[in-house]
Amino acid sequence: MGTLRRKQVVGGQAEALALGQNAVDVQEFQTLYQENLGLIYRYVYSKVGNREEAEDLTSQIFIKAVRGVDHNRSTASIQKWLYQVARTTIADYWRAYYRTTASSLEELLEAGWEGPVEEEMIFASSQPAERVQRVLQALPEHYREVLTCRFLLSLSIRETALRMGLTEANVKVLQFRALKRAADLEHVVTRTV
Amino acid sequence: MSGEDQERFEDYLELERYIDELQAGRVAHPPSELTPSQVRIYRMAALFRSASPGAAEPRPEFVAALQARLEQELEEEGGESTQKLPVLPERRASQAQRRPGHVSRRALLGGGAAIAASMVVGAGIERAAVQVANRNSSAHNPPPKGTPPKSTAFIEDGVPTIWHFVTTVAELGKNAVRFATNAVVGYVIFADEDADPQDRGKIIAMSAACTHMGCIVQWESADRKFVCPCHPGLFTEYGKVDNNSGQRYLFALPRMETKVEDGKVYVKVPID
Repeated sequence: MGTLRRKQVVGGQAEALALGQNAVDVQEFQTLYQENLGLIYRYVYSKVGNREEAEDLTSQIFIKAVRGVDHNRSTASIQKWLYQVARTTIADYWRAYYRTTASSLEELLEAGWEGPVEEEMIFASSQPAERVQRVLQALPEHYREVLTCRFLLSLSIRETALRMGLTEANVKVLQFRALKRAADLEHVVTRTV
Repeated sequence: MSGEDQERFEDYLELERYIDELQAGRVAHPPSELTPSQVRIYRMAALFRSASPGAAEPRPEFVAALQARLEQELEEEGGESTQKLPVLPERRASQAQRRPGHVSRRALLGGGAAIAASMVVGAGIERAAVQVANRNSSAHNPPPKGTPPKSTAFIEDGVPTIWHFVTTVAELGKNAVRFATNAVVGYVIFADEDADPQDRGKIIAMSAACTHMGCIVQWESADRKFVCPCHPGLFTEYGKVDNNSGQRYLFALPRMETKVEDGKVYVKVPID
C-alpha cells in the first residue's frame, strides 16, 4: 500500500476531518477510486436495492470522503475511513424507517442495528452476492425457491405461483416469511465463514 | 419482541409492493414506522435484489461522471475546503421532499421539530468541534505547514451570536435540558459535586452533535449519560467521552458559553 502524501502521521478520523487541505495526488486518488468504487457501490446497492439511490448514496459517500479525508494517512486507512462513511450513510438511510418508541433504541441495538464491528467484518469478508448465496443455501427448500424466483430470476408473483404450484396469495406470504427467516439466518451464516 | 410483530395481511401486500418496485428497477421505499424485525425483512429484500444478475454493477457513465466530479472537488479543495457544507444534509432535504412524513419521523426520533435543521448543523458543529479538539492536541502535533490557524472557540470568531434562553435554574434541576435553535442543538446541565473542580456549581452547555459523525446524542436520564443513536458513542453527563464508549477516537462534546440572569439560563449560540 502506498501513501497519499505522508507528511505527518496523525491518528483518529476526527482529526482527519480538519486537515483536508492538502491537494491529493490525482493519480493516487484515481487508483483509490477505481479500487473501491465497485465495492462501495455494490455494498450500497445491497442496502437499497435500486440503482438511482445506489448512485446517489455512492456519490455522497465519495464526496464526503474526499472532503473529509486526511490525505496523510495510508491508503489502507483511507479505505477503512471510506467504508466507515459508507456504513454511516446507510445507517442514516435506514434509520428513517424505524418506528420510534421509548424503547426503540434498545430494540434497535438488540436487533443488531448496524453493529459496528460485525457489520464491518461482513462488509470486508464477503460480497453481497456471495452472502445471498450463503443465506439461500441455509434456507429450507420452499423458501429458497420462492426467493430464487422473485429475486434471482426476477419472476413476477404470477409466474412464481405457477412455477411453484401455489396461489399468488400464498407466494406473498411465503416470500415474506422466507425473507424473515433469511434475516434471522444472515448473521449466523455470514459469520461462520 | 411483543405482539407488534404479528404478521398482518397488509404486511404481505406492502412487502410485495416493495419487491415489485425493486424488480422494476425503481426507487423503492419501505413503509414507515417499521419495527426492527420488519426493517430487517426489507433490508433482506434489498440485499437479495442486489444478487439479481447484473443489477448491482455500476453503470460506466456513472463511474466516469462521479470520478470527474470528485477530481473537481479535489482541485477546489486546495483552496477553501473546510468551508463547505458536507453533502449529507442536502440529501436529507431532498429526501424530505420526496417522502412526505420523513422529517416528522426524524423529529420523533429526536423529540423536537428542530431536529431536521439541527442535523444539517450537526455536521458543521462536528467540524467546529474538531477544530477545537485539534487545537487542544496541537501542543503535541504542531499543525502542518500551510494550515490556517484553528479557531480557538466552539463558535468561530466573527460569527454573530445571541443569548438563547433555555430554561430556568429552578426547572433545570438535576437533569440535562435540551435546547435547539436553527443553528445548534445542545444540552445544559448543572455541574454538581461529581464534576471537575473548575465546573462545579456552574451550569454548563454543550453541543449535542456527536463528535464522531454529527448525530444528535440523546440524554438517558437513568444512566445520566448521552448516547449517540448512530454508533456506540457514549458521553458523560458533562460531555466527556465515557470510559464505556464503544466508539473510539471521540472528542468531548464541545462546550458553549452560558449565563444566568434572574434565574434564567441562557446559552450563547450562533444566529441561525
